[in-house]
Amino acid sequence: MRQPNRLNQGGRIDRSQRLTFTFNGQTYQGYAGDTLASALLANGVDIVNRSFKYSRARGIVAAGAEEPNAVVQLGESAAEQVPNVRATQQALFQGLSARSTNGWPNVQRDLMGMIGKLGGKMMPPGFYYKTFMAPASMWMTYERYIRKSAGLGRSPSESDPDIYDHMHQHCDVLVIGAGPAGLAAALTASRSGARVILCDEQEEMGGSLLSSRQTLDERPADKWASDVLEELADNPDVTLLPRTTANGYHDHNFVTLHERRTEHLGHTAPSVAGKRQVRSRMHRVRAGRVVLASGAHERPLVYAGNDIPGNMLASAVSTYIRRYGVVPGNQLVLSTSNDDGYQAALDWLEAGREVVAIADSRQAPKGELVEAVRAQGVTIIEGAAVIEAQGANRVKGVRIAPIDVAGFRISGAVKEFACDTVASSGGFSPVIHLASHTGSRPQWNDELIGFIPTLPKGMLVAGGAHGVYELAEALQDGANVGSQAAQETGFEAVSVMLPSVKARSDGKAMALFQVPHDKPTLRAPKQFVDLQNDVTAAAIELATREGFESIEHVKRYTAMGFGTDQGKLGNINGMAIAARCLKRSIPEVGTTVFRPNYTPVTFGAIVGRHCRELFDPERYTALHQWHVEHGAEFEDVGQWKRPWYFPRTVNGKRETMHEAVARECRAVREGIGILDASTLGKIDIQGPDTREFLGRVYTNKWAKLPVGKVRYGLMCKDDGMVMDDGTTSCLAEDHFLMTTSTGGAAAVLEWLELWHQTEWPELDVTFSSVTDHWATMTITGPKARDLLAELSDIDLDREAFRFMDWREGKVAGVPARVFRISFTGELAYEINVQARAAMHVWKALFAHGEKYDLTPYGTETMHVLRAEKGFIIAGQDTDGSVTPEDLGMQWAVGYDKPFSWIGKRALTRPDTARKDRKQMVGLKPKDSAVVLEEGAQIVFDPGHAIPMPMMGHVTSSYYSPTLDSGFALALVKGGHERMGQTVYLPMADGKVHEAEIVSPIFLDPKGERQNV
Amino acid sequence: MSESVNHTDRANTYDACPGADIAQESPLAWSFFNSGAPAPRPNSRVVLRELADRDHLILRGGAIVLDEAVRQVFGVSLPARPQQLVVFNGGVSSLQWLSPDEWLLIVPFGQAYRVETELRQVLGGASVAISDVSAGQTLVELHGEDLAMRELLMKSVAYDVHPRNFPPGKGVTVVMAKSSAILRRPDDSRWELVIRRSFADYLYRWLLDAGEEFEIGVDRNS
Repeated sequence: MRQPNRLNQGGRIDRSQRLTFTFNGQTYQGYAGDTLASALLANGVDIVNRSFKYSRARGIVAAGAEEPNAVVQLGESAAEQVPNVRATQQALFQGLSARSTNGWPNVQRDLMGMIGKLGGKMMPPGFYYKTFMAPASMWMTYERYIRKSAGLGRSPSESDPDIYDHMHQHCDVLVIGAGPAGLAAALTASRSGARVILCDEQEEMGGSLLSSRQTLDERPADKWASDVLEELADNPDVTLLPRTTANGYHDHNFVTLHERRTEHLGHTAPSVAGKRQVRSRMHRVRAGRVVLASGAHERPLVYAGNDIPGNMLASAVSTYIRRYGVVPGNQLVLSTSNDDGYQAALDWLEAGREVVAIADSRQAPKGELVEAVRAQGVTIIEGAAVIEAQGANRVKGVRIAPIDVAGFRISGAVKEFACDTVASSGGFSPVIHLASHTGSRPQWNDELIGFIPTLPKGMLVAGGAHGVYELAEALQDGANVGSQAAQETGFEAVSVMLPSVKARSDGKAMALFQVPHDKPTLRAPKQFVDLQNDVTAAAIELATREGFESIEHVKRYTAMGFGTDQGKLGNINGMAIAARCLKRSIPEVGTTVFRPNYTPVTFGAIVGRHCRELFDPERYTALHQWHVEHGAEFEDVGQWKRPWYFPRTVNGKRETMHEAVARECRAVREGIGILDASTLGKIDIQGPDTREFLGRVYTNKWAKLPVGKVRYGLMCKDDGMVMDDGTTSCLAEDHFLMTTSTGGAAAVLEWLELWHQTEWPELDVTFSSVTDHWATMTITGPKARDLLAELSDIDLDREAFRFMDWREGKVAGVPARVFRISFTGELAYEINVQARAAMHVWKALFAHGEKYDLTPYGTETMHVLRAEKGFIIAGQDTDGSVTPEDLGMQWAVGYDKPFSWIGKRALTRPDTARKDRKQMVGLKPKDSAVVLEEGAQIVFDPGHAIPMPMMGHVTSSYYSPTLDSGFALALVKGGHERMGQTVYLPMADGKVHEAEIVSPIFLDPKGERQNV
Repeated sequence: MSESVNHTDRANTYDACPGADIAQESPLAWSFFNSGAPAPRPNSRVVLRELADRDHLILRGGAIVLDEAVRQVFGVSLPARPQQLVVFNGGVSSLQWLSPDEWLLIVPFGQAYRVETELRQVLGGASVAISDVSAGQTLVELHGEDLAMRELLMKSVAYDVHPRNFPPGKGVTVVMAKSSAILRRPDDSRWELVIRRSFADYLYRWLLDAGEEFEIGVDRNS
């Protein structure tokens, strides 16, 4: 297959490796080393997309990250779709399949284009807002269709087959950009011994050296680049990251790099020796110093018809010819305001094609390159510019006129030339995005005609990124900055011999942004500023006329610099136009803020390995395997997987949750059940001031708790609201074991440390988490003592080992601590053994427990049983606004303790003494079959007009097999004084439940069952 | 001590270590069973091994009294520098600085109680807390190729593991994936992780996944 625009020689492509690819369903060929863009240009593909708003035909403009048009959808199957890939950044591989993101039914014959053409004049900025503003409720409907006709790529509809990961990197010096300045910086920094990371977003490192006409040490510039890269690669303390974009610069020199590891190889990562490869990787870099060597983007000129395929950046023309051996046309017209643009003409001539004319906006340009072109007999029209490109699907000709920049008008006769390509150069804009990610505003430099970065702390800049464009200077600048970065991170500077460069004498560049047309801007053919978002010079002018003066407002009104493009090509021109319209200078208008990410990052790379089974830690107890093997359903409690219930299969039918829970409840109330309570937080507290400390963090008293005893404790935050609860046992005079709720364990330990370290460092007390060390098995029910007696040497006599005692002794041959506490209201023993022996003890309990029908139960049954007893769960029945007294737990508050305790002061506020606070009560539904909804609102008067005054809500609600009724715990305003009253719970479906306020203790109010 | 609790001591010391006749399970037992343990192959660049036969104790108190006690009991100085790790007893035992008043002591299996008793004896009335956490955490060793181990750790922990920042003899509590771990370098041939029992499975699965590109193997002979 022919590649009509491919040169027979030259470029860095491998002509021996032919690659086949498809674009919009057509098959083409390119070579290894091509980008998708260079291959499309080689094949003479003019139209690569339709524009966002007007659906105009668009071609390739640039050769790098700044490309606004050639945005494609990559991938064949539904799973491998990648939206918004720039063809200029996508390496070609065998079998690549890409489509234009816009255009329907296709880019060549686009229906929306007709509308854009007819309606273009009727689609000013703010068009969508103005047109679809009423009725407001219809916007959602409008939006769907607007997005379909505009919009960029689409997300994949199937699960991503690839894997991604993160890498935490640390270095002394991170160099962003491997062009001349970046290479010199990395070289000097690494030679001084610093740990260096050098990243570059392109397929090959070297930047402009890869397509430069200049020589270094009288050799082609790319030879020096490859020598340097070889040296860097050999240094173990240098990490080279090609195909890696620095996308975000964050505080404290934290930089996120996105490395595309296999995207040059296939739509999905090919496996190597049967192993999955990481498709792309996010490097999270913490750098001592960041060297921004991101170079500069050429700025196009803004003239009428500048978006017709065939309009390109002058430097892109050079890059395609020199790096890829592709001449993107036959007849070139160049419009430039500086000498650099002439390189495109020289390269074009060298490729053997015709340069029709050059319009140079300057009078009598004289630089070295200018003379070189002039010497080849090319027509140079001075003081002039291309004012309009003409054509539809490809440039057919241009109109060139002398221009008066100060007066913003044309100053002479228009000449017309036939051509198929227009290269333009308005000078260079430093790529300063990363420097402004943390908020610093760049500064305008009149001399350089561009913004240069205001550097955040820890960042240095080298080369084109702050306007040092000349090759020799950029190399020297890079070397200096690399050396400075090394010194600032503690290394000695070393001097590096830089290659000799033959200096080029350039003429002075001229500031030119929008080119005047023979018609006023608002009536001239469209002059595009932001090609990706279809923002025209006229739109900016209109915005300023409509009163938008701040550049941030102009941006939002016109959409300039939005989207994946982030204003790489258009922003400076747009600001200059706004400045002209507002009759201000560019620095007065200022610039908008650049935000991360510099280019789009695939979600996979952001997520890394934190997905699917590794999405979040799953914490298991030592008994997890038993639970799995016995068919437990699990509930997430914090990060723990706790058995929720253990459904049995009865007569071939698996129990429902309701059935299983009812059976488990009955087992505990009538026989014996067992719960894995290992997840409860356990904190070992030691030190002579332990009692004093406990007295300050708990609401109740701890001074006199004897060794061998356990006490329930309530913990408040300093606002007097209940934070957590649990039991704490006195192991020895100065040694206590605190338990916390499962979810509260880490927070409580931190809370203790916080108060100890910041408020009471004089107290001699320490805390250590022993949550994972002890496995806790609760056996509970009337037969609990019988079972334990079979396995333990502990004296279980009811007088010797009483409720709220703990004892040491062996259980199933394993040393244990047994706590006689109860969360079910039944006789209960909590057996603690070292987790490594937990399974042995658990199985032994079952071996002996079979005759008692020992029944494992889960969290759901635990909840029902504790609620029947009115035991709260912090975080379920409390929500950070509930005091101990609201819960009716005055008995657990020691107002008369000698030292103040956390929450005491807050509990003396009038607000916490209000009689109409929401207070904990029980609710008994009038219809015993009703299980009220947790969270349901409570009202006193169901006849009240909506909105009804809400008087409380249900916090816990279950069906109790023991009571054979639904029952609930609730917080009700003034509830303690409302015993016996009827409340109403209006539901979303219109039903209104009735319930009676009762005591929250539904079962055994005297606590006789747990004391047996 | 099964009749009643009547400690006259200030602290409760209790030999709760299950005897050798009791079936015991290391924190990774479930993981080996459930996720498997790929055997090390010749091309395994990283090998993981659980060193479950250790007891772990947390010591909290003043450095000066503890140093005195540790010298007497073990003949080594307390690592007093932040992030310092001291290995002794042929590499089996170690002492690691965890925070200004907190150290991790690792000793052979079954010795926690004896060590605690000896230390308390030497410490006399000094107030130092000793907590046995043996069953609550486990020691995992990584050995293999330097660079592969380092890259595996770079994928997993935010802390800088370059030899310039992490020489042998250092130990740091680090964020690991979405959990945490104690990361140590006893010598230049291996790394150690101390991970909590309840998080062990998550971290094991993480290491197998992140180690896939290094052909990670698991050595079950500890």
